[in-house]
Amino acid sequence: MKPLRLLAILFLASVPAAAQDVPAAQQPTDFKGVVLKNKAPVSNDVLRVTFRRPFEAKLKNDMDLMVLEEHRSPTIQVEIAVPASTLYDPEGVPISAAMTSLMRLGTKTRDAKTIAETLAGLGASITFNVGDRFAYARFSTLTENLDAVLELTSDMLFNSTFPEDELGKWKNQQMSTLQQARAQPEFLATERFAQAMYPEDRRSYLLPTPEGVGRITRAMVLEQYARVYRPERGRVTVLGDVTAKDITPKLEKLMATWSGKGSTAPDLPLPPAAKGRRVILVNRPGSVQTALYIGNHAIDRLSPDYIPVQVLNRVLGGGPASRLFRNIREEKGYTYGISSGFSASRYFNHFAAQTSVRTEVTADALREILKEFADVRARLVPADELQNAKRALVAGFALSTENPASALGNATQIKEYGLPADYWDTYPEKIAAVTAADVQRVAQKYIPLDDVVIVAVGDAARIRASLATFGMLEEWDAEGRRVAAN
Amino acid sequence: MRAGRLFATGLGIALLTAASGAQTSSPVRPIQFSDTRLSNGLRVIISEDHFAPVYAIAVSYSVGSKDERAGRTGFAHLFEHMMFKGSDNVGPGEHFFLVFNNGGSMNGTTNTDRTLYFEVMPRNQLDLGLFLESDRMRSLAITKENLDNQRQAVQEERRLRLDNQPYGKSVERFNELVYDNPAYHHSVIGSMEDLNAATVDDVAAFFRTYYAPNNAVVAIVGDVDTKDTLARVEKYFGNIPRQPAPAPVDLTEPEPKGERRETMQDRLARLPQLNIGYKIPPATHADWPALSALGQILGGGESSRLYQRLVKTQELCANIGSGSTQRMGPGLFTITCAVRPGKTVEDAETVIAEEVARVQTAAVTAEELQRVRSSSRRGSVAIRESTLTRAQSLADNAALYNDPNRINTVNEKIAAVSAADVQRVAARYLQSANRVVVQTLPARQ
Repeated sequence: MKPLRLLAILFLASVPAAAQDVPAAQQPTDFKGVVLKNKAPVSNDVLRVTFRRPFEAKLKNDMDLMVLEEHRSPTIQVEIAVPASTLYDPEGVPISAAMTSLMRLGTKTRDAKTIAETLAGLGASITFNVGDRFAYARFSTLTENLDAVLELTSDMLFNSTFPEDELGKWKNQQMSTLQQARAQPEFLATERFAQAMYPEDRRSYLLPTPEGVGRITRAMVLEQYARVYRPERGRVTVLGDVTAKDITPKLEKLMATWSGKGSTAPDLPLPPAAKGRRVILVNRPGSVQTALYIGNHAIDRLSPDYIPVQVLNRVLGGGPASRLFRNIREEKGYTYGISSGFSASRYFNHFAAQTSVRTEVTADALREILKEFADVRARLVPADELQNAKRALVAGFALSTENPASALGNATQIKEYGLPADYWDTYPEKIAAVTAADVQRVAQKYIPLDDVVIVAVGDAARIRASLATFGMLEEWDAEGRRVAAN
Repeated sequence: MRAGRLFATGLGIALLTAASGAQTSSPVRPIQFSDTRLSNGLRVIISEDHFAPVYAIAVSYSVGSKDERAGRTGFAHLFEHMMFKGSDNVGPGEHFFLVFNNGGSMNGTTNTDRTLYFEVMPRNQLDLGLFLESDRMRSLAITKENLDNQRQAVQEERRLRLDNQPYGKSVERFNELVYDNPAYHHSVIGSMEDLNAATVDDVAAFFRTYYAPNNAVVAIVGDVDTKDTLARVEKYFGNIPRQPAPAPVDLTEPEPKGERRETMQDRLARLPQLNIGYKIPPATHADWPALSALGQILGGGESSRLYQRLVKTQELCANIGSGSTQRMGPGLFTITCAVRPGKTVEDAETVIAEEVARVQTAAVTAEELQRVRSSSRRGSVAIRESTLTRAQSLADNAALYNDPNRINTVNEKIAAVSAADVQRVAARYLQSANRVVVQTLPARQ
């Protein structure tokens, strides 16, 4: 049965600062952008949070099964994940996306319209997609419609016909989607940043190319399907208003004849940090803001620095209490929002800060952001600021218990990355152990300063000259083409 | 404890079932809550939910962009930002600093009708949330420095969401064409000129008039004890003085006298876009549930009529959607689509008109109504899965419609809509004389 794990979440104000921490400064910490009167009642109580663990078993076809029963509301969510990767797609050719889209658009007994109408009638959703490590089939249903939705999922998963006319329509629609994406400054910024981070492979393509969409044929989709949706080494996770006892035979029936081995994980290297200061300007004439993306390679999910990096990011740019928000928005008024984050997975290992600032202050904002980068590298985080960041991370755990999907997500992370079984149970202690010296060490290692990629999307005529002062400038247009710098 | 007069009795709320459509489904249990009015007029709604050790607090003030005077558009929202710049016992920015550093999250949001503030925090920080919300209701710090600072943030928000986005200005213009009454005529974000014109005196007057306990609702949902929480609310909010009630704003619109239409050029857009709107009654009107159902049947998701015809069959649009807004005053039934490369807005508009005519002249099917019921049931279920959503809904339904129990009834009313209802409201409201059309065409450099 599902064991209940009682996890003591210490509100870290009551945890003594680790020995390596510097003593509190003589002067109060300058929390730039905010003024602290310290009159509000803050509880230092110990809050005990119960984390539930999913029931785990093996299905007859050897797939892992995890069930987290949750009877708060009459809904059930199921995710079937099997090894596969979009990173095998040819560059710019969205073959995985074509396959998963078409799985919703026709089976031996249902056409696309019937599928859409049946789902709406049941109040259910069924989706398929491929990520960088797994191909997924997911559904969400009201409890009373579980059997009907299982039957429909089975039909779409095993009896898809990948109709030729639907493929044509899908390809047409992709052309519009590509156009719409290119109108968005945030997309243009992330596209160029991904190209700069992972230039050699499929990771650099956030969206397919029009030519790539055009190349897809039904035969290619069929071949992809035959290769991808195979159960070996896969897993099924269930969350919601159903018992493991009730759902297991239904899943066994769904998968009774499903067999075979999908692809193994691609062996792509995690690139090292890019050298030098590279400034990538994407011209979007008529822009009144500049979208900025500033970062470089950092850590993957298995890095021993993963925990201190969480604390570092909370200090620097994780949320409105962080330095970047307090300085760039609250004190300077350059932006509506700014944040930073680490993408740390099996195939992605970068850090980036992102914001949009009015055109006139593009260079000022960039200078100020880099100043914060320099400061977090140069100076130990003051004790009270460090405690705030750690308390925020640990106390935030209490909020995550409201969403059982996060508990299930934690459990799957343990499996996907081979983390110790008690990884999340000891997470608060791991966070508590992070010192100011740890934060500075990882800041110096991963917060880019001299080696940094800066992407700016805006009206080039108005920002080109000032951006050129930050490093070697290259210019692109909104179609993703390199242009000669003016 | 100060005498907090009980406004509505106890915890028992009308029991309604969701069984109207889905024969095999069990009714969704109604959300239970207490509803109390303090002596200073503050309405307090508490709903216990011990699922997780968290609570959500939502404070809804009955003031939105509808209350702005000429020359001060965007002020209600600018004021919302000022609410995070400190009060007698909370420094500028300390509010969000404390919430986030203690594991919580928070935000504020303004629309035409109300301004809503909310936090979600671990349950042991109940006093913190109550303190922060009460201190700014009592004693907002109104300084020019704070105002100038947030003016900039709001102007950046306008740039981010509107001026630097494709179709941003079209949506603003669309609204101006729909509404004649100044209350809803202008955008919530307001104009740059008006934002620049706002003064400290404006802030002070606005605070005095609208940020009074008798013009607000506090809803608390989560792992709390009702009696204990009510006592704490009384402690923190009970001595904030009541103010004279703001004068109600006239939201009525003149009878439409014919279609309004405009074509705009947009330098940032790559596909043409079509915005169609029909004025409809307020959310409390008896026809609103049928209009909501009509929105789903016409343009809600892949099974809808407009999606199937314009996106799938004729491939005129890249996407399409329709729906009914919920407002205190006249709402809007909207149809929005992005037109594909090589296709024209005129073609899309013609086919949309055909589908509108079809829903006006023939009954929708039983299957379509079943989809509406399923969607309503999902909506009823979803609101139970988050303390924050429930707190927001309870506070807003009380502040906007004087009906917190609308959280339990609105989806049931939509589920009870008949084919005749849908046909009737389509015929009544989707008339060309009541229509506004904005076409946006990409203006290539």
